[in-house]
This record gives sequence, C-alpha cells and structure tokens, in this order.
Amino acid sequence: MAWWVVFALLIINKAGGLIYNRTFAPGLQKLDSNDYLILAGTFHGIHAISRSINPAPLAERLPGNRKPPTTGIESLESSHFRLTCFQAPTGVKFLLVTSPEQPNTDVVVRRCYELYGDFVMKNPFYSMEMPIRVEKFDRALGGYLVRP
Amino acid sequence: MAGASVYSFYIFDRHTECIYTKRWTGPQSIPQKSTATNALSNGAVPVSVKRAMKAEDDAKLIFGTIFSLRRMARQLGGKDDQFLSYRTGEYKLHYFETPTELKLVMLTDTRVGNMRTVLYQIWATLYVEYVVKSPLAPTEHPRGVGVANELFEGGLEKFIDSIFTPAQ
Repeated sequence: MAWWVVFALLIINKAGGLIYNRTFAPGLQKLDSNDYLILAGTFHGIHAISRSINPAPLAERLPGNRKPPTTGIESLESSHFRLTCFQAPTGVKFLLVTSPEQPNTDVVVRRCYELYGDFVMKNPFYSMEMPIRVEKFDRALGGYLVRP
Repeated sequence: MAGASVYSFYIFDRHTECIYTKRWTGPQSIPQKSTATNALSNGAVPVSVKRAMKAEDDAKLIFGTIFSLRRMARQLGGKDDQFLSYRTGEYKLHYFETPTELKLVMLTDTRVGNMRTVLYQIWATLYVEYVVKSPLAPTEHPRGVGVANELFEGGLEKFIDSIFTPAQ
C-alpha cells in the first residue's frame, strides 16, 4: 500500500502560531521554517473566515439565543494532497497532510491528538503554547506515521 | 444526488472582482426571524440593504479564502498543484479555475461529491457560449456587466436543477 502516505504534521496553537512541524515522507515542496510559520498563520485566519461564511441554514439556536458553533475547515483537497484539520476543544489545530488516496485521515489525526495529550501535555517540562521539543513525542509519532 | 442542496455560486474575474453571484435559498425560517428583531434594535439600516451588504461581504471573504488556499496548495504541492475543494462540518466549497484566471466557486451541502466537472461544464457550455460569445457583452465585466443575461441565468438554473433534483 505504498500510495498511502502521510507527508507532514503541523500543530498550530490557539493564537495561530506554529508549535510543531515535521515531515514524514518526501513528496511536498521543500519549505523553510519561515514559510511554514506563514502557512500556519494563514491557515489559522482562513479557518476563522470559513466559519463565518457558512451559507447553510442555521440550526436551532442554543439556550440564551446563542448561535450554534460552526466547525471551520475540516478537510481540504488539492490535486496533489489532502489536508485534514482537527481542532481540539482548547483551540489547538492539528493539520495532517496526506496523499489524496489516504483513507481514515480523521482517525489518524485524532490518534496524533492522543499522542500529543500523552507525551506533550503530560510532560511537566513543557510550557504551554510554546514550540514542542519532546523527544518521546517525536519517537511515538515516528513509530505511528512512518511506514516501514 | 438526491436530497443534496446547493447554496450559492460565484464567478470572480482575473481582476479579483466578483462578476456573478447566485444564491439558492432553501427553507430559512429561523434566520429571518432573527434579522427582523435586529432591524428593530438599530432601525437605521433596512433589512434588505443589510442583507445585500452581507452578500457583498461574503463574496469578498470567499475570494480571500480561495486566493489564500490556492497559494497554499501551490506552496505545498508544487507549481502545478490545484486547489479543488474544502469541507467544514456545515458546507463544502468547490473551486475551479480556468486558464484565463476566471474563478468559479460553488458552495454546497457536505454530502456532495466532486463538482469539478460540473463547474467545468458551467464554464464551457454556459459561460463561454452565452457570455463570451455574446456580441453585446464587453470583453471585461466590471461590476458584472453582461454576465447575468437571460440565457446564462436560465441555462444555469436548468443545469443545476438537473443535477440536484432526483430523476423521476
């Protein structure tokens, strides 16, 4: 199943800053870290816009006349890759770039969130909203996403 | 595609201007109620004007979104990569760009599959036939002049109806 490829994982904090960025397989353009930072910021903005241009008829109002929450971009397709975005309730976004044929990307990205919870959040030396430099997290992700 | 619905359709020209907008309004009882109460609280702007302003703003936001996503797709996937669509929990946006940088955007239900061929057909069989080949239409369409003619509107309506209503 060589065509199922996970190209990269990006983690964006709730303020739109890139806190983790790793490529697992070649196939994407080579970008320097500055370009990835810009990309993360851009995506953060577009994600917010995509919530406000929702054309679907509004669902029932929540108690207190509040608008029901909208999700923002969940997946994006281009001719070369598919980007799956998972936003955790705390506002952290996980962007998984895969080949367009990769199935069950939402399951894969949730598993990455679990690993983040296990190895980053439970690490007492990690400071919130800062770039993730946790060796165990790297190793766990590598073991999960890199295909032998 | 039984039961699926289309929300709106936009055409942007190469000068980033929205030259055509069409919205299909479904059963929308809840938002209308809320706009009516809003109009009472700040009576300066009538509801119809407000709605038109909202539509114009939406078109600008959609252009900004597709412009950035298109650049992002090129940045990640290489020069020949094309942005195709994105999906949120509520709707799906389909995108098609012609070689002349005319951009066609359609917002639909999330259950709808790939609409690239449909957008291509709208461009090839409707836009080119009825707008580009029209002797009365100008070459450029500032503020949408010459796009929304009778033949194009009718053709688009019929085409979308044929796709989104179940065949009897």
